[in-house]
Amino acid sequence: MKLYDMIRMGNSNLWRNKSRTFLTILAIFIGAFTIMMTTGINTGVNNYIDRQVAAVGSEDYLQVMPAQMAEQFESLMSGSNEVREYKPEDNSTTSQILTDEDITKIESVDGIDSAKFYTMVTTDYVANGQDGATKYQMNASVMPTASMKLDLAAGSDLDMDNDEAQIVLPDKYVKPLGFASNEDAVGKTIKIGATSQVTQQTDEAEVKIVGVQNASVVGMGSAWMNDKAGQLIEDITMAGLPQEYRNQANAIVAQLDKDHISEEAASKVKEQLEDMGYSSMTLTDTVSMIKSFFDAITTVLTIFGAISLLAAAIGIINTLYMSVQERTREIGLMKAMGLSRAKIFGMFSLEAIALGFWGGIIGLAVAFIARAIVNPLASRTFLASLPGFTLIEFNPLYLLIIVLIVMAIAFLAGTLPARRAANKDPIESLRYE
Amino acid sequence: MPKNNTVISIRNVTKIYGHGDSSVTALNGVNLDIKRGETLAIVGKSGSGKSTLAHILATLDQPTSGEVVIDGKNSAKLPRRVVNRLRNRTFGFVFQQFYMNSRDTVLNNVMLPMVIAGVKPSTRRKRAMEALKTVELADKVKSKANDLSGGQKQRVCIARAIVNNPAVIFADEPTGNLDSATGDVIQKLLFDLNRTKGITLVIVTHDMELAAKCDRQIHIKDGQIIDESQDATDSVKSAKGDRK
Ligand SMILES: Nc1ncnc2c1ncn2[C@@H]1O[C@H](COP(=O)(O)OP(=O)(O)OP(=O)(O)O)[C@@H](O)[C@H]1O
Ligand SMILES: [Mg+2]
Repeated sequence: MKLYDMIRMGNSNLWRNKSRTFLTILAIFIGAFTIMMTTGINTGVNNYIDRQVAAVGSEDYLQVMPAQMAEQFESLMSGSNEVREYKPEDNSTTSQILTDEDITKIESVDGIDSAKFYTMVTTDYVANGQDGATKYQMNASVMPTASMKLDLAAGSDLDMDNDEAQIVLPDKYVKPLGFASNEDAVGKTIKIGATSQVTQQTDEAEVKIVGVQNASVVGMGSAWMNDKAGQLIEDITMAGLPQEYRNQANAIVAQLDKDHISEEAASKVKEQLEDMGYSSMTLTDTVSMIKSFFDAITTVLTIFGAISLLAAAIGIINTLYMSVQERTREIGLMKAMGLSRAKIFGMFSLEAIALGFWGGIIGLAVAFIARAIVNPLASRTFLASLPGFTLIEFNPLYLLIIVLIVMAIAFLAGTLPARRAANKDPIESLRYE
Repeated sequence: MPKNNTVISIRNVTKIYGHGDSSVTALNGVNLDIKRGETLAIVGKSGSGKSTLAHILATLDQPTSGEVVIDGKNSAKLPRRVVNRLRNRTFGFVFQQFYMNSRDTVLNNVMLPMVIAGVKPSTRRKRAMEALKTVELADKVKSKANDLSGGQKQRVCIARAIVNNPAVIFADEPTGNLDSATGDVIQKLLFDLNRTKGITLVIVTHDMELAAKCDRQIHIKDGQIIDESQDATDSVKSAKGDRK
């Protein structure tokens, strides 16, 4: 018997008992569809993060923290119950604060070009330059490195070294602040409000808008300021504190040398920093942390899909056992007419594979339909603030692999009934009522 | 008689079903030679072992002991592939209960042995049509096998048995489920095949009239051949003449 005939017969036999076959395919479809959608969402999220990172683009700096602080974070997260003996060097204040001394030490590391305190400021609001203008809540951060590229709708990047206080504003603030357009906002001066940690007194700093940024997940809708603007805000938030406080921080931004901007070089620098008692992270490290969080979610969903595929496999076994039973005589007849065991095994295996194929293909088709419906819906609703984020993205290769895996599972499930069919005795089978 | 004139020969064949107390000896030390081109009737009471004998001759079943020699080769020592090919090309089967894929068309049923043989689709069609013409059912090609009468079904089975041009046709009670008029049509068809194509016929029957039309009759009782009668060469010829 030719392969073509085996496929043809296997497939036509499937449709003899339409409802049973349909239900079996439905079960396979549910498993395949679930897995396709989860990988689709996973790809969508990862691609978005990658695009955002590519847009931001700076791989050339490290965020450095005292190792002890990183450790304490970790033990806090893992809920460690261990009680440790206190040693003077564990002093939680001195061991967690970075000073000018640390900057000098870090700058001496081979591969690091320069280092500066990572300024973490908290802002309260933004308002148009005119007196009595409405205030809007806004969070503004100091851009860690000059090489960070922002997705600008208008204007230009921040000049980090400039003596003028500059800001890049998220585009959603343009209209509320009373500017006609993004272009109109560029060059205007606005006020940023902040409050002193000590005196609780709120004050304002004047900054100039140099650019307007498209909404993005990086920075989560926060505005970006240059160092000068950061200092002005710090002047307000630290008002009343002694000057010493100004020359220390919890984190340092270390700029890598131009020729150390490979992953390899960065990891060498990180090793050196570790030996010195610092823990450091590149942007890639941060991104992979975010990604592994999403991966964990999709893994759980994929496991659900896999469980339903397992149930579907049992359905295939059951369906084909029934089919073998019903077609006992036919099998007997074909064996009597000289059809080999291998071909009978192949015929039933092909039937199983066909079940897997149709389940997978229907899963594929419905996944594409779901994508066509869900993506526009998502970007109109809960993803409206993240333009460019397509929730579901399909990698054709992955989809193909999923269909093939589903077919392979179906084949494996089919081997049990197929073996039973192949081992039938022709005469006994012909006698079967 | 030259050896190549013997198509199938069995030596001291015993078939025991089951084990121990419940075992049934269906065949007990049977020897038989089937000659090329002859028509052989296997007769005997119900349960005497006729079907069992036919199945063993056709390699559908294996003897518990003894040898089945086909074209001079011991079938137990032949590779399975060769035995399958033998059943597909060299032998044809016609059963009392027809055994068809009743939901399939007449054409597909007749083409089945060629599908198994791997004959290409265009040739399949042509040869199936020829076979159906032989049994005078060319107008029923598209019908569902289930919609046919008993006689028509058996003719389809004969068409199916001859599509691969077999050397031997085994017919187990081919007329057993048919009225006598329809049975006569089937008998005539089988003997015509023997006469025109030289196909060897092995017919299991309890119809003595049908048995008498064969060149040779063997009587089975309790799994043993008790009587082997062979018509004189002259009478065979005249008998064959009568059947025309
Ligand atoms: N698969 C089997 N298992 C057990 N016993 C069997 C089996 N097949 C046949 N027999 C027994 O072997 C003996 C011979 O059976 P067989 O079918 O050859 O008889 P038969 O001569 O063809 O009878 P009939 O004319 O009724 O068809 C019977 O006693 C039967 O019960
Ligand atoms: Mg019988």
